[in-house]
Amino acid sequence: MTKGDKILILFIVMLSFFSFAYINRYAFSEQEKYISVQVDGEEIKKILYDEQLIGHTIPVQTEFGYNLIEIGDGQVRVIEADCPDKLDVKQGYISRIGETIVCLPNKMVIEIKGDSGEDDIDIMNY
Amino acid sequence: MRKTNKMIFISLLVSVGLALSVIESSIPLPIAMPGARLGLSNMVVLVTLVVFGFKDGIKVAMLKSTVLMLVTGSVSSFMYSISGAILSCILMFIAYRYFSKVFSLIGVSIIGAAAHNFAQVSVAVLMLSNPRIYSYLPFLLLVSLFSGYFVGLSSTYIVDNLKKNFRVLFSRQETI
Repeated sequence: MTKGDKILILFIVMLSFFSFAYINRYAFSEQEKYISVQVDGEEIKKILYDEQLIGHTIPVQTEFGYNLIEIGDGQVRVIEADCPDKLDVKQGYISRIGETIVCLPNKMVIEIKGDSGEDDIDIMNY
Repeated sequence: MRKTNKMIFISLLVSVGLALSVIESSIPLPIAMPGARLGLSNMVVLVTLVVFGFKDGIKVAMLKSTVLMLVTGSVSSFMYSISGAILSCILMFIAYRYFSKVFSLIGVSIIGAAAHNFAQVSVAVLMLSNPRIYSYLPFLLLVSLFSGYFVGLSSTYIVDNLKKNFRVLFSRQETI
């Protein structure tokens, strides 16, 4: 083994570690899913998941009613509502793309959306 | 060396490479990673490159992956393997011919393994049209270090022996 070999090995190790760190930081840190809050069919809030937002509550006060949304770690729920049946509060957390919390009296829909439409595919095999 | 002789040697090398590929697929790896291989058949390509030169090296590499496709019957793995074979062959030749003072055979073989992985991942990116597959490359590069080192070490011994034997063979033929 010559000196060049050792330098090459070191170089490849560094390269793979650095690119791994880079990928972890930039490619996967931003989660593709986001929370979309819609009232009367219009999206009034778009919330991207963030670690600082865990435990954060967001009040949604509209002409149709009042809801308090709590954001968890990759999940979201409604903790307060002024609608009569409180079905949205009872539903609890939603976390997967496509899941929704609907509060019909207040015309409010919370939906988790993802940018990639391919999440339904489990395995691709070639 | 006569033409027929050379042809026979090359076809022997191809068949050795094929056998190594088949054997290698039945050796379990301690890590479960798709695409990570021991790369034993790379040994044959490297030895051919060193003993016979670039033209025959790339011939052996391409023939090996083509015939392996006929044996295993999977066309997609043929795409991966032939792209890897061609790129690694070219890079290994460049490293061996022009940088042989800097790299020993181990370094050359590590370059080949890394190039092989890079080409495979690139083809996967093209085939699945999803650039995120590149995020898999760092893991493969780390694995390629180990397999490349092993392949390089073993081909050092092979080349030593082969060169000795071939020298005897060459000189005998010249006298005939």
